[in-house]
Amino acid sequence: MKASPLSFTGFVWKNLKRRRLRTLLTLCGIGMAIGAFVGLVGFSRAFEQGWAKIYSSSGIDIAVIQQTFLNTSVDESVGAKLKALPVVAAATPMIYNVMDLTPDVNALVYGWKADSFEFQSLTMLAGQRFQDGKAEVMLGDLLAQDLKKQPGDSMEIQGTTFKVVGVYHGGSGLEAGAVIMPLDQLQQLSSMQGKVSTYHVRLRPAPRGLTADEYMKRAQAQIQAALPGLRAVPAAERANNNQFVRMAAASAWGTSLIALLIGILGIANTMAMSVFERTKEIGILRALGWKQNQVLMLIQLEALVLGVGGGLMGIALGWCALHVLALLPQTASIVSSSFPWVLSGEALVIAVLAGLIAGAVPAWRGAQLSPVEALRHD
Amino acid sequence: MTDFLEVRGLTKSYDDGKIEALRGVDVCIAAGEYVAIAGPSGSGKSTLLHLLGGLDCPTSGEVRFKSASLGSAIDLNTYRARSVGFVFQAFYLMATLRAIENVQVPMMGVERSSSKRAARAAKLLEEMGMEHRAEQYPNQLSAGERQRVAIARALANDPEILLADEPTGNLDSVNSAKIMEILIGIQQKRGMTLIMVTHAPEIACCAPRLISMRDGKVEA
Repeated sequence: MKASPLSFTGFVWKNLKRRRLRTLLTLCGIGMAIGAFVGLVGFSRAFEQGWAKIYSSSGIDIAVIQQTFLNTSVDESVGAKLKALPVVAAATPMIYNVMDLTPDVNALVYGWKADSFEFQSLTMLAGQRFQDGKAEVMLGDLLAQDLKKQPGDSMEIQGTTFKVVGVYHGGSGLEAGAVIMPLDQLQQLSSMQGKVSTYHVRLRPAPRGLTADEYMKRAQAQIQAALPGLRAVPAAERANNNQFVRMAAASAWGTSLIALLIGILGIANTMAMSVFERTKEIGILRALGWKQNQVLMLIQLEALVLGVGGGLMGIALGWCALHVLALLPQTASIVSSSFPWVLSGEALVIAVLAGLIAGAVPAWRGAQLSPVEALRHD
Repeated sequence: MTDFLEVRGLTKSYDDGKIEALRGVDVCIAAGEYVAIAGPSGSGKSTLLHLLGGLDCPTSGEVRFKSASLGSAIDLNTYRARSVGFVFQAFYLMATLRAIENVQVPMMGVERSSSKRAARAAKLLEEMGMEHRAEQYPNQLSAGERQRVAIARALANDPEILLADEPTGNLDSVNSAKIMEILIGIQQKRGMTLIMVTHAPEIACCAPRLISMRDGKVEA
């Protein structure tokens, strides 16, 4: 006679299969939550990487910013003091902002000096560089394509007419969708006369005998000593911590957490219903000698399978979303279509935790049932 | 007669003492004995069976198995898993599991090897004459067949005591006779202690020993 072995996991699988529709809906719930996490956090990280690329491609070593949170502007006059420091090879001021260019299109707008070293990371595709003091702008190639503008055209930004003088290709996707204009023009538009958002600093080569880290720390200390009240932040750190990245990360995590909470409640509800409906069955298991921890493990494992299954579904969904973003012209330059391995690993860990957390209370309740009371349950 | 299973001053009340299901029961059952417990509804026979099987704890008094007190000297989970097998009136098979899988359920915390569990389940089903129905789900089996699977499941961990709560209550007379034949056959072949709660006088009368209950007490 054929003997079909029944494993613990086999039992779990059969329990989940018994209520297919509910299992599927729960998987969809947690899948959507994890999908939102992968998609949103993936996009936010791509955005962060875009910023990092801007800093690395233009050779910025340090960003000098305000120490305070509310007042984030830096006096433009600190530039002279910065340039005088022995570790500083070049220092250039800049402002960035987000502005409406048309009712449908808003974009990052940078204010640079015409002689900024940051131009070195850009490739001019058409036209020329703007001149300080003139109402001129340069457009990233993606933005120029979106707005159907080319050198010689004009465009209105916040009530001022600017002449498009050049179209460039940037080192990062963020630059490809941005506007660059003279610093003084953006100061006027943003009512920041005499102020800048940050100073970007390029350091002189490190002296022999000093590691890159040691040199960076020494430079930071020198700058902060010379400019009290300001912070010298390494470029990589600044890329992760600027207000746009922080906002994108906060909204991605905020939305994902809400979605995850709903997913966790979905699993918890499924498991609580399952325990309630299977009260008699739990009583039978206890009557057949199952210990409390076996019942607890059975229910927890079911919740865990839901978490992992939903997590895998969500990773697939999130990756599809990122893939779509990678194909859209507006976001293609920011998002990569390659599989997000690290993020998927994190998503799976979150899904496993979500399953365990959601299953904990129903599992505990199921394990606490008295066998005889559970057997009497209808 | 050695006191294999001993009940002393057993009481069980519910609802803060408003309902007294058992009112001081004293019973001694020997190893290998076949005992029927009979009595009208509400007489406390099922409550006594549950306490004998370690499914519940008494309000006062104690159940002793081989001279050790249940719940204190003997862990109830271990007792239920290794020393007792239950057969219920409503069979209580898991609907999602095949017959052979149902028989393996009690062994899951006792025998680590799933292939050994499966082999033992197959042997037990063969013993019950159910080998040809091993792969069927409970809803594909007749009532008599379900009870035979339930008996095989009760024997899964080779218990010393078989507790049966109205095992023929849901069966017709032909199947009832078959199930009784199987239970008595097992009891005699294995030398097990069989304690059976029954309403049926013809079954109660056939048992070598009958415990009659009324109003939570054992009748003289």
